[in-house]
Amino acid sequence: MERDEFTLVRDMLRAFATRFRSGSAGDIKAQTRTDAQRALDELGLSGLRRTSPPAATVQECALLAEEHGRQPLTTSLLGTALLAPELLRLLDLGERAGPVYGDRPTVALAGDLRFPDRDAVGLVAWDCDGADTALFVHGEGRVTEHELGAPAPTADLLRGVRRASAEGRPVGRLTPGAHQCWQAYALVVVASELVGAARSFVEQSVDYARERHQYGQPIGSFQAVQHQLADATVLVEACTSATRYAAWCLDSETPGRALTAARVAKAEVNSSAVEAVYAGMQVFGGIAQTWEHVAHLYLRRVLVGATTLATTPDLLTVLAAPEATR
Amino acid sequence: MTDTPLDFGDPEDLERLRNDFRAWLAGHPLPERPADEPLPVFLHRWHRQLHSGGWVGLDVPEQYGGRGLTALHQVTVSDELGARGAPGVPRIGYLAHALLRFGSEEQRRRLLPRMLSGDDVWCQGFSEPGAGSDLAGMSTYAERRPEGHYIVNGQKLWTSYAQYSGLCLLLARTDRAAPAHASISAFVLPLDRPGVTVRPLRAANGDDEFCELFLDDVRLEESERIGAEGDGWPLAMTTVAYERNALDTGHLSKYGLLIERLRRAAHERRKLPDGLLSDIGRCAVDYQVLVAHARRRTAERLAGQSAGPESSVDKLLMTRAEQRLYETALKVFPEELYGEGGEVLGDYFYSRAASVYGGTSQIQRNIIAKRLLGLPVGPRA
Ligand SMILES: Cc1cc2nc3c(=O)[nH]c(=O)nc-3n(C[C@H](O)[C@H](O)[C@H](O)COP(=O)(O)OP(=O)(O)OC[C@H]3O[C@@H](n4cnc5c(N)ncnc54)[C@H](O)[C@@H]3O)c2cc1C
Repeated sequence: MERDEFTLVRDMLRAFATRFRSGSAGDIKAQTRTDAQRALDELGLSGLRRTSPPAATVQECALLAEEHGRQPLTTSLLGTALLAPELLRLLDLGERAGPVYGDRPTVALAGDLRFPDRDAVGLVAWDCDGADTALFVHGEGRVTEHELGAPAPTADLLRGVRRASAEGRPVGRLTPGAHQCWQAYALVVVASELVGAARSFVEQSVDYARERHQYGQPIGSFQAVQHQLADATVLVEACTSATRYAAWCLDSETPGRALTAARVAKAEVNSSAVEAVYAGMQVFGGIAQTWEHVAHLYLRRVLVGATTLATTPDLLTVLAAPEATR
Repeated sequence: MTDTPLDFGDPEDLERLRNDFRAWLAGHPLPERPADEPLPVFLHRWHRQLHSGGWVGLDVPEQYGGRGLTALHQVTVSDELGARGAPGVPRIGYLAHALLRFGSEEQRRRLLPRMLSGDDVWCQGFSEPGAGSDLAGMSTYAERRPEGHYIVNGQKLWTSYAQYSGLCLLLARTDRAAPAHASISAFVLPLDRPGVTVRPLRAANGDDEFCELFLDDVRLEESERIGAEGDGWPLAMTTVAYERNALDTGHLSKYGLLIERLRRAAHERRKLPDGLLSDIGRCAVDYQVLVAHARRRTAERLAGQSAGPESSVDKLLMTRAEQRLYETALKVFPEELYGEGGEVLGDYFYSRAASVYGGTSQIQRNIIAKRLLGLPVGPRA
């Protein structure tokens, strides 16, 4: 996209997010979810990665995912607008075995929300507000389409997750290169949303530290508080650099290099986004421990996000292997 | 912070420079280092060799002995050196920038070419026994005499490699009454001047690195002052900001080489201590995040953003990577602790200093809190 066009799209998404954010856990209701999803769908973002060449770069999509993560939103931008269309685009480059029956697919993950390592049991459709079907990428790159079932529990109150049928209809197969791209892209997009969440929550806690007074002065003037926020800021910057770089690698480097960069980014985000949210919560004190406060919505998002697609142990094991053996 | 796309790639001319440099390196390998040659002496020979090929001070204007290119070109050269396990370019960038910004035309023409070529070796005389983090509290005093010259008295501490240097960038107070930040001036001090005593201090890793510097009635001419009286503070802030910069990182690729060594060592071993593999993976993450971060800073710089207090973020990330890496290296090579103690142990000790030199980690956090986050000034911290 041209710079102006991107800014326009991002600002639209920002305006949407401000309007439909959940101010607290009590705001999350079936009707508000539906309304929010309808409003997001009207922005027409699912076309960004559907064509070849795509209308938006991966970096642009990653920045939109960051923007979406900044507010507590129930909407599926990731699953239905960014991930599933990209998967279909990558499939076009490989072999297609059959059509997709649903109008609005999202993606399916293993029951523990990770990339499948063997033939996965207990599939779930992930991020499925507004979706009517789910696409699953098997360990060897085969792609199948699955039906959506009952809602599945998740600690992330904002995320729509449902059970998916065990049996799937064959849709096609990703080439090995496309499979790497798919994994890298999914890691980057998911990590980006968590970066947005962590950055936004740390910013909110910095604002709070300026306003909240104790001992006759703003708590942000205490060095112990300042250092905690400074450390959180460093972590957020590290996450930001790593994910944006990985996104750029997908636009400009080989799939292998992009996948390494994406794993690095997800590993950094898995631990640092959670740490940063902890720091912010500590600065808010007691108020952040209540059901009404947004803090736990952010914590839930980064906590579950840190186990989504690839956990820290998954990633560190791969990254500890010598380059030559990978 | 930008929230629009950035180009993380190397511009074409950097790629060309990298290739030229590779070709030059092929014909000019690293010199041999005799067993009894102190490291700084060896590094100085290497400095001269690099300079002979035009690889020092790439970002310094041509009329002062440089090549008039950008900091990114200099970084490319350091990067390439690090990737080959060679020592980096001499770390004089921050001194050169102080001179460029605050020196007179005459000083720039006289001092910069000799600094770049290695004819003059410089050290940095900022810290004192009573003034470390609180640099503005320094007490070395340069008293101006009616004839126009200065007489300097005081003591400096931690002056790295003063025993191998000819010149010192010295900070001293020139006004006892004015507020600290307006009363400090900068000078070029020749270390063979009468009244100067240099006493080396042994560092924790056994190396002679830093020194004490005693100044007893040392005479400095007005022409040896850099900038106006009172310019010493902004000059010092310029140099430390450059020192902390994520871009000035020839040693980055050195981390990459060590990590690959750790990976291979772990891979070849049958039994590993618990958690060691994930420690190594974590080091790889720290390092690659640092690479990504440096690239982001570069891209932001090219997009027109100037350097500011965010260099404190860079320094904390660098410290994190370096300290965790050497802690892990000692776990992979425990024989460093019970054997003779080799290079890894020495580097490990040096990594402990990363959270102290160039402004301690707490001071970096103070800077982030106040200048980046705009948090209020509290009770005297
Ligand atoms: C290897 C090495 C090389 C060096 N090379 C040079 C050199 O070439 N030239 C030069 O001039 N200097 C050099 N230094 C000195 C270095 O800049 C100082 O050591 C550093 O600024 C800290 O000062 P200090 O040692 O006096 O510690 P102090 O300032 O006494 O600090 C002691 C402790 O108190 C903490 N502290 C102090 N003030 C605050 C505060 N406001 N808030 C929170 N915590 C605080 C510090 O973080 C630290 O943990 C070098 C140091 C090392 C280790």
